[in-house]
Amino acid sequence: MGTAILNGILMGSIYGLTAIGLTLIYGILRIINFAQGAQLMLGLFATYWFVELTGANPYLSLIFVVPFTYYTGYYIEKFFINPAFKSEKDTREPMSAMIITAGIWYMIDNLALMLFGAEYRTISVPNFSHAISFFGLYAPLSKIIGFFISIIVSGALFWFLKYSKIGKAIRATSQDREAASLMGINQYKIFNVAFGIGAAICGISGTVLLPFYYVYPNAGAHLNILDFVIVILGGLGSIPGALVGGLIIGLIESVGSQFVSYGWTTEIIYVMFLIVLFVRPEGLFGVKGQH
Amino acid sequence: MHRKYLMGNKTRLAMAFSAILALVAFSTSAQAASKDVVIGNILPLSGSSASVGIQGKQMRELIIDKFNAAGGIKCDGALNGSKIKMIYLDTRSDPTVGVTDVQQLISQDHVDLITGAWNSGVTYPATQIAEMNKIPFVVPVSVMDRITERGFKYTFRVAAKDSWWTKDQFKFVDYLAHKSSAKIKTLGFVYVNNDFGKSFDDAWVKLAKKHGYKVVLNQSYGESATDLTPVVLKMKSTKPQIVLLVSDAADAILLQNTMASYDVHPLALISSGGGQADPAFIKNTGDSARYLFDVSEWSTDMNRPGLKELNKSYKKRFGADINGESMDAYIGMHTILTTLQNTCSTDPDKFRHAMLNTEFKGGPFSVMAYPSVKFDKTGQNVNAGLIMVQIRKVGNKYERVTVYPEQDTRAGYKIVFPQPNHY
Repeated sequence: MGTAILNGILMGSIYGLTAIGLTLIYGILRIINFAQGAQLMLGLFATYWFVELTGANPYLSLIFVVPFTYYTGYYIEKFFINPAFKSEKDTREPMSAMIITAGIWYMIDNLALMLFGAEYRTISVPNFSHAISFFGLYAPLSKIIGFFISIIVSGALFWFLKYSKIGKAIRATSQDREAASLMGINQYKIFNVAFGIGAAICGISGTVLLPFYYVYPNAGAHLNILDFVIVILGGLGSIPGALVGGLIIGLIESVGSQFVSYGWTTEIIYVMFLIVLFVRPEGLFGVKGQH
Repeated sequence: MHRKYLMGNKTRLAMAFSAILALVAFSTSAQAASKDVVIGNILPLSGSSASVGIQGKQMRELIIDKFNAAGGIKCDGALNGSKIKMIYLDTRSDPTVGVTDVQQLISQDHVDLITGAWNSGVTYPATQIAEMNKIPFVVPVSVMDRITERGFKYTFRVAAKDSWWTKDQFKFVDYLAHKSSAKIKTLGFVYVNNDFGKSFDDAWVKLAKKHGYKVVLNQSYGESATDLTPVVLKMKSTKPQIVLLVSDAADAILLQNTMASYDVHPLALISSGGGQADPAFIKNTGDSARYLFDVSEWSTDMNRPGLKELNKSYKKRFGADINGESMDAYIGMHTILTTLQNTCSTDPDKFRHAMLNTEFKGGPFSVMAYPSVKFDKTGQNVNAGLIMVQIRKVGNKYERVTVYPEQDTRAGYKIVFPQPNHY
């Protein structure tokens, strides 16, 4: 049981990490990024190819994965999504931008299918995959590292948004992009940066996941759905909300399945999700009435 | 007047003659093209079953390319000299897509025959559409019992029914229990939550009762689960002595690696083909999968004429060994080719008559695990038989080694039971 709870916490924090990008992009751009799953898959593939080509430790791949996914996100926003924002200047949440992200999702998925083929691949990390024990509990090192990376990344992001100059500019844009641009902030550049950060976090998630998961062109799809549940649960736009939401999901999955069949835990998650939508639609950490 | 610049009678005659010749030649070649037999093939070419779907396509290509290169159909009648034209459509393992694919094959591509679809959940509705349109549908791999239990006339299945698989699995469980000094009393069932998994689990529960075993774990999991640790922890806490598995390829890999990660090893793991039979499984699990037993239609190390050469030519072109399911595809295609040569027609009723009244043996059928293919009036191959393989280290690689029935065991390899580091 203890191991189940531990697994729930570890997996939950990792689920939370995958969801942070989604909640961030909603918080700042006010659009749902349907390409979230595809960006996760990009992170997985980037890590895979780095490890395959260099034979290095998967966590070292972050040197390559983070800038690669950041700039992919940055330029996707700049060339594909910003035009939609520019043409719908007075709409708070432009539908066209959301639809474009859905198109990007399909594009990335199918590009990966064409370039890499449909088979799934794993990387072999014998030192990290075997469960280590402490205090009678077991967990693979890869998940423990994943947990710490999730905490560090969310903490760093929180600090960055609250205290750094660009972070403050990002928050200003999310509150009111017209007012922010009147203050001299280039809202479109902010959007590029925000989307890039979201994509980079997806990239980091990929590096965290690959050691114990697998990659293939459609790999992001299931996590995509889980991420939507997590961000609604935690509150759209809230980073601590994403982590807490992830933890809740992870614990239900891991601990719940010790009592009921594993298939039922998915039911429980969705039922609880519906209850939250009725009782507190802004999520656990969301601000009431904000939309 | 320069007569030589005007058409003379001889020139006119020559032109008319060549025109007629051209017309005749053109119409005969057009006729030859329209005589080609068109076979539609629906398979999972993307998504979680993509690697097995692609192998099925590759086996079909191997056979048909060779067949067409050798001159195509040779028979006494309309189809003599016809080539086979193959159309492949992706089902993405989705029944709705499979049905649309079949509708397209029938109404737009005007196929004469269909094969597919690997996933039982897709084959079941897809064959219904073909039956309504009287298009013969040969099912090489899908095991769901009901596929050949609907009174259909034009559905033919090569693989054994899943109820036969489960009977053979329990026969093997009894065999292991008999062999071992440990008393085998408890079983665990772990299966993926789809048609494939559920139909096996239903049969297992009944068989466990019949054979007198106690089921201490009966655990399903979602197809797209990202983390199977909870399932493995359940195994660890209930400790079933022998665990039976049904998985698709991706989750088979995840489950096996998670079991190895947490050191959870029952006395024996017995899987049901599917994901554990996929070459990607051994590639992505290696040592984690050592000592797993899998029930199979076929294996590369059996002693059959022509088997080594066939595997070599497949491996040379596609880079992997033939597995049980591509073997089923091989058998399915050869029954079609043999029948087309016998009937020399694409008439569905003639096709059915020949399929039901032929015992397919010898020649290309010599490489099978069992002696011959015989379809009964439900379209089911009643001779389909199964063997047991165990994943073992051979040199510095991992291979599927035939271990049962005893007379087919690979020389130098005995069953390893119980697993060395079991709980």
